[in-house]
Amino acid sequence: MATETQSQPADWPGRYFHIDQVLNTPGPRTDESFLAGDGVKDFLRNKSKILVIGAGGLGCEILANLALTGFKDIHVIDMDTIDISNLNRQFLFRPKDVGKSKAIVAAEFIMKRVPGVKVTPYFGKIQDKDDAYYMQFNLVICGLDSVEARRWMNATLVNLVDPEEPESLKPLIDGGTEGFKGQARVILPTITSCYECSLDMLNKQTAFPICTIANTPRLPEHCIEWASVLEWPRVRGDLKLDTDDPEHIGWLYKIALARANEFKIEGVTWSLTQGVVKNIIPAIASTNAVIAAACCNEAFKIATSSAAYLNNYFMLIGTDGVYSYTFEHEKRDDCPVCGGEALEMTLKPTTTVEELIDILVEKQDIQIKKPSLSTPTKQIYFQAPPQLEEATRPNLEKKVSDLVPPGGEVTVTATTLPFSLSLRISYSE
Amino acid sequence: MIKIWSMKKNEDAAAKKKPKTSAAQIRVQKDLTELDLPPTMKTHFPDPADLLNFTLTITPDEGTRFLLLHISQSNSANNTSGMYKGGAFVFSFAINTNYPHDPPKVKCTQTIYHPNVDLEGNVCLNILREDWKPVLNLNSVMVGLQYLFLEPNADDPLNKEAAQEMSKNRDQFLNNVRASMRGGHIKGTQYDNVLVR
Amino acid sequence: MSQEAQDIQDSTTAIVAESAPDAKTRRYDRQLRLWAASGQSALESSRVLVIAGTATSTSVLKNLVLPGIGHFTILDPLEVTPEDAGNNFFLEGPSSIGKSRAEEAVRLLCELNDGVDGKADKRSLEEVLENDKEWLSDFTIVIAHNLDPKLLQRLSEYLWSDTTFPPLVVVRSAGFLAEFYIQYHEHSVIESHSETTPSLRIDKAFPALLDYATTLDFENMDVTDHGHIPYVVILVRVLEDWKKAHNGLPPQTYAEKKEFKQGIMAMRKKSDEENFEEAEAQAYRSWTATTVPSEISELFDDPKVKSVTPSSPPFYHLVNALAKFVQEQPSHTLPLSSTLPDMKASTSAYIHLQTLYKRRAEEEKAAFKSYLQVPIAEDMVDAFVKNSHALKLLRGKQWGAVDKDGAALVKGGEVAPKELSVHLALSALSSVIDKSQPGAPLTPTVEALTEEAQALLPGGASLPDDFDNAVGEVARAPTADLPNVAALLGGLVAQEVIKMITKQYIPIHGYCTIDLVDAWTGTLKLSDLKP
Repeated sequence: MATETQSQPADWPGRYFHIDQVLNTPGPRTDESFLAGDGVKDFLRNKSKILVIGAGGLGCEILANLALTGFKDIHVIDMDTIDISNLNRQFLFRPKDVGKSKAIVAAEFIMKRVPGVKVTPYFGKIQDKDDAYYMQFNLVICGLDSVEARRWMNATLVNLVDPEEPESLKPLIDGGTEGFKGQARVILPTITSCYECSLDMLNKQTAFPICTIANTPRLPEHCIEWASVLEWPRVRGDLKLDTDDPEHIGWLYKIALARANEFKIEGVTWSLTQGVVKNIIPAIASTNAVIAAACCNEAFKIATSSAAYLNNYFMLIGTDGVYSYTFEHEKRDDCPVCGGEALEMTLKPTTTVEELIDILVEKQDIQIKKPSLSTPTKQIYFQAPPQLEEATRPNLEKKVSDLVPPGGEVTVTATTLPFSLSLRISYSE
Repeated sequence: MIKIWSMKKNEDAAAKKKPKTSAAQIRVQKDLTELDLPPTMKTHFPDPADLLNFTLTITPDEGTRFLLLHISQSNSANNTSGMYKGGAFVFSFAINTNYPHDPPKVKCTQTIYHPNVDLEGNVCLNILREDWKPVLNLNSVMVGLQYLFLEPNADDPLNKEAAQEMSKNRDQFLNNVRASMRGGHIKGTQYDNVLVR
Repeated sequence: MSQEAQDIQDSTTAIVAESAPDAKTRRYDRQLRLWAASGQSALESSRVLVIAGTATSTSVLKNLVLPGIGHFTILDPLEVTPEDAGNNFFLEGPSSIGKSRAEEAVRLLCELNDGVDGKADKRSLEEVLENDKEWLSDFTIVIAHNLDPKLLQRLSEYLWSDTTFPPLVVVRSAGFLAEFYIQYHEHSVIESHSETTPSLRIDKAFPALLDYATTLDFENMDVTDHGHIPYVVILVRVLEDWKKAHNGLPPQTYAEKKEFKQGIMAMRKKSDEENFEEAEAQAYRSWTATTVPSEISELFDDPKVKSVTPSSPPFYHLVNALAKFVQEQPSHTLPLSSTLPDMKASTSAYIHLQTLYKRRAEEEKAAFKSYLQVPIAEDMVDAFVKNSHALKLLRGKQWGAVDKDGAALVKGGEVAPKELSVHLALSALSSVIDKSQPGAPLTPTVEALTEEAQALLPGGASLPDDFDNAVGEVARAPTADLPNVAALLGGLVAQEVIKMITKQYIPIHGYCTIDLVDAWTGTLKLSDLKP
């Protein structure tokens, strides 16, 4: 747990000498809504609340930058513990911290180093937290290495947006790195392109045909996958492969090496074995520093309006000189998270599911044929497959009001829709 | 922040609030409710409320030719179509919350004698691994699986012995297929009886 | 040794399995995957000097200490001010105020990595330049952030005065804008980690490959084997047959190339043989002549390459030998690379092909070595031969030379107006500082800065349209070392320094400019500034 730090010295004169230069005066590209001077400083230092997802390579950098720029109420979530291979870049951790929670150690370090900053760690999963938790922040910065976690965070923030409540719009600033390459982007949920919109830009993970692995290995990687994909489950049965367990890696390495020798394939090493089975992505301090700084700079500009913010994607390639590309990634109409249609529907309390389907089918402007309906937790009516159609058929006669609470949401899919349609149901008197 | 907060107000306030349903969940709903399967394939949900885990039973027939996209399996077999007729082959599907970024995990639940399915139930189908992409869907995977029974591919095998038999001694292979489907032993391996009862 | 004996020896060599890596390898695992043990060892023997312990300087150092440079020195006579304590992560807030900035930063940076030696030097740069400038040449590289323009000028002149002196990285920043430049005479890179792959030499198949491809009995092959012939073999075979029917020429016209591809597809025994599909997709390799890339052949004519002496750096000897190899070897190509990409093939066919390539590559390497006039370490020769298609030789200019070259500035305004605007705005700030009284508050107006920038341009030339955006930011925050800008520069500069030290990957060759309002970086490339 985070320990209460000793009484912190108040801000000292000159502390914000550098930052105040851009908070006291607008620049040529500063929006007119910028409130130069005390107003913006007060918001940044006393009112804003920012959430950092991930306390790893990017997270450590992000926390340090935010603390120095004047954010004083910072929260950080990370489910991981510190590993020795983190120490070449995660600069808030020391060898003695190996095995401890990243979020907790990072938070303590920042509070010790930067007086007056409160960092609240959570050692756990982002999925443990509910909407009310995320609603308390003004901004969210993600420094993650997982596609899945990013998709979840992105969808959660898109869902939080309530047009009636401007503050429900939480800008999401997302960073990612891989070796000398990286990207930083600003997502304004429902307004700009979101993470899901750009899912197809992701590099495909290398996967080898399973028959190549089984029969015609040519590369050392084929031998390693043979060991991990086929031999491990066959020989070790239900024992789950733990890629952090040296005994497990050692076993795979030996099996892979024996196979490589059998086929006269060169290049199976311990390091490659670990790289392939853990899908290790090279990571260095410098790239993380660039991307984290780019993210924090956007957070600072958005929180203070002191300068224009990134619209909306910055991509860096540092292998041949410093090459970067800043562009606007376009929102996708058929994005399953931020695209598609949403309809308000007011139904009579007596309207049945079947009647609702008829209403949808008859609606000229949306052209739905054979819709399937569900709420976030259960199926209402599925056109197929037969077992599910049969299972949901009794619902056709039920009243929608028995299945969906007022204000509740219904997801509609149909072959004729680009992706899906969401209905917000309310009931007339 | 004020700048950001004022942005939404300018937008058409037509309630754009999206449902809490995850993208993976909606996508699975879409895939499942739009399945267009021939009578030779049936899905079964042990828990109908759980859309992410189910089985597919394939009962191959003579081999109606389907127009197949994205599938690079052999179409060379000529006299073998229908060799798995009479069997009911059950595959488990496990979809994770990162679908469709991640492909569904598919395994054969029975021990079967097939060049492209190993004794552990691993299936060699390109779109389940190296050629998976999010534009593919559950329908493409299921059609691909069925194709394996109509046109087994001996050139890129998972069960090497079965494949060798298939290319070297087709009659023996067909005998083995039939014996295995009845639950027989072949070269020391006991196969599951998969005959439709 | 006969081939057979060699094979027997290979197959009976005992398998020695490694054990789990040691703590140091585990610590550096994620970076070793980028620059390998050779890069790491270069880092570990490097000595880095950083002048002025600003927030930007300590950010740069953090990203060099973490990956494990050997030694660093911070040269800084100043004490920590309240302003420093507010923006520098490698100071401990108010408790550092009044202490030596160099000592505080060194202490906190050293905590990041036990393996790195750090030293605080409380002399001023002025003192060093007066009394001990030879000391500067003890370092592998020198980094200077926001130095006084006059001192910077003296420093850069001194380090430029001898080609063996260390490169100088000049970093300037003000508010949301920044720039950095690496002053070096020349920088050669063997391991550029280029993404272009070397030629497989399908068009000039070496004898063993040609023999293998032409004697393989495609027709009577088992269907499974036929579906697993590597595409390289298919292409060599088809090309050879084609040339026999076409006066020894490869396909020339579009129609011929199409016919060639159809010929490949007609050889299939089944409609889905992926190896033949791969051969069709790679068919261009059959008519694309394997030549020496122009960037490499230009090196051959370099005076320093042509006139190597025993004391010339190894790179020149290697290029000199390469030039002779290309000229005298019958194929007139670069030495063959032993790396074979993965392709649809059976294990045995692939491994056989790989062995042919490896054996030939070894032979060519031996031939290459015979042209070397001085002994050069085996691993360097290996790396050189492997990367001979992607060598890089960069020649630099003295820091600030561009500001004395009106024509270059005008050219920069044409090819990279945004980048030039940032550069000019920061150069204008330097000019203002140069003219102001030491210690006086620095509050230049947009007008004053614009005047200085204009003065750098030749008469009649106008400032780029983007200049207003840049100069406004400099006027707004002329002395601000913003934490985020410092951190970003810390990353970019450290990355370039790592490339310089390891001689891997390609460092910038010009002025890298950064605008963190619109979030972009750009480079005023020296090659683009030639009028």
